Amino acid sequence: MKAQKNTLLDETQEVERFNIIFRIQHVIMFTTFLLLAFTGWGLKYAEIDVSSWWIRIWGGPKTAGIIHRVAGVTMILDFIFHVVYIAYLLLTGKMKIRKETTVIPLPKDVKDVIHNFLYFIGLVKTKPKFGRFTYAQKFDYWAVFWGMFIIGLSGLCLAFPIQASYFVPEWATGWFWQLLAIMHSDEALLAIVFILFWHFYNEHLKPEVFPMSWVWLTGKISVKELKHKHPLEYEVMLKEQSGKES
Amino acid sequence: MQKVVILIFICLVVFFIPDSGNADTKAGCLVCHNNMGGKIEYQGKVIDLNVDAEKFEKSVHGFLSCTDCHLGFKENPHLPPEGALSKELQPIMEKISIKAKADPTAMVACYNCHTQIYNDVLGSVHGKNIVDKKSTDGAFCLDCHGTAHYITKSTEKSSPVYQFNVVETCGTCHGSPELAKKYNIEAKVMKSYMESFHGKKHILGHKRAPTCVNCHGAHEVKSKDDPASPVFGKNKINTCGGCHKGANEKFVAAITHQEAGPIPHYAEKGLIILTISVIAFTVTHVLLEAYSDIRDTFFRKKKEVEHESSEEYTS
Repeated sequence: MKAQKNTLLDETQEVERFNIIFRIQHVIMFTTFLLLAFTGWGLKYAEIDVSSWWIRIWGGPKTAGIIHRVAGVTMILDFIFHVVYIAYLLLTGKMKIRKETTVIPLPKDVKDVIHNFLYFIGLVKTKPKFGRFTYAQKFDYWAVFWGMFIIGLSGLCLAFPIQASYFVPEWATGWFWQLLAIMHSDEALLAIVFILFWHFYNEHLKPEVFPMSWVWLTGKISVKELKHKHPLEYEVMLKEQSGKES
Repeated sequence: MQKVVILIFICLVVFFIPDSGNADTKAGCLVCHNNMGGKIEYQGKVIDLNVDAEKFEKSVHGFLSCTDCHLGFKENPHLPPEGALSKELQPIMEKISIKAKADPTAMVACYNCHTQIYNDVLGSVHGKNIVDKKSTDGAFCLDCHGTAHYITKSTEKSSPVYQFNVVETCGTCHGSPELAKKYNIEAKVMKSYMESFHGKKHILGHKRAPTCVNCHGAHEVKSKDDPASPVFGKNKINTCGGCHKGANEKFVAAITHQEAGPIPHYAEKGLIILTISVIAFTVTHVLLEAYSDIRDTFFRKKKEVEHESSEEYTS
């Protein structure tokens, strides 16, 4: 993640934004997400005729169910690995929490949203200055946590209902299972719609990134782009570098 | 005169028909009934006179002769059935004759071969409703298995009790709100099944997804309040355990036909509000951003360049 000497002053150079471990996590995350969305969609809307055809493409209801469960468990493992990896980076000091570079939501993000909306409608002439993660990216990131908590947990219970039943208190059995099904299905819809609008626009359809931001594959970002999109992070990196040089 | 003509006709046809095993009486009946159209009214019941011989031969009972079931018809051409049944069958016929659409003797005839199943049905919640309450509401053989002469195996797609037809067949009665009200039974069983994971998998063609009969039983089906019902109280543990090994009391609570209680109901409302707000926010944001991106590209090109160059090497 650290830039090499002098590269930050040369706009044609590239710096690493995500290392290979993060990139692999992301690939696993979106592959399993797509598999889950594709197979789950057919089950959620089973009563529609086209769903039977769609599920047949995925090998029939039984195979689609196996794909869904395997993808789900893989995604949860990927998520757990991510959290452990972040904890490792923080504990060993390889990652530090700074307000310019952290993914943790801060009051500035709310200001940025308002600022950006004002820019969109033309009331402010400049875009907000973002850190390493814009509020849009933070939203994207934490949406996964929310999804994991709601969809991941309910999905695990639905995939292993007998095991889950041991943890259900007696007084909750009347509504617990119905709640699980609702949580899983409704939040999955939310996740899919969110990814379709938010992630696809911001990382694929936006004129400046179309057809996609290549950072997921190369992990690299040009200094020019860094200065333009994440000026606060750029400043921090520059200070750090000049501090080392002196 | 007419009778004589028919007789001569029958004799001629019978003489020329190639012998097909048991077909003596059957061929005799079908010579006329295969070609007859229309219906007659007899003792207040409308009787369809046509029997499609080819379809009948292909049915599961195609090997039987007509009088194996139409026990009261002794002569050919025949008079109305005399109803001279054996001492065993006569009382059964009296119990169920209310369900007969045409020949009540043919409805008892099933008993001769399917004795055990017949008794199961008579003891079921469906049978009891017919026998005890003299109601036509309870399902009897033909209500589920289809038209008498063309019954096919339950493993065949044409059968109304075929795995992927049986839910719809039960639904012809159990999808009716009037019936649910009349008997004070769960009204939205079809809807709740179709919305359940079992139902969704069934619709998608999952062969191991249970249908109505896998949980409630078929011929011997009991009211859910009957201790003998497989879905009564703790019997569910056994019933669910047939597929879900290790099923326990807390697990079997998962499947009911009841509507969602207040907690899932309001949780769903909350999640819908959340979904709508997130969609509203993202869509507004994306649309406005797209607008501003287009505006910047076409109308503020110069400014953007100036802005960038002014920032260069400032730090």
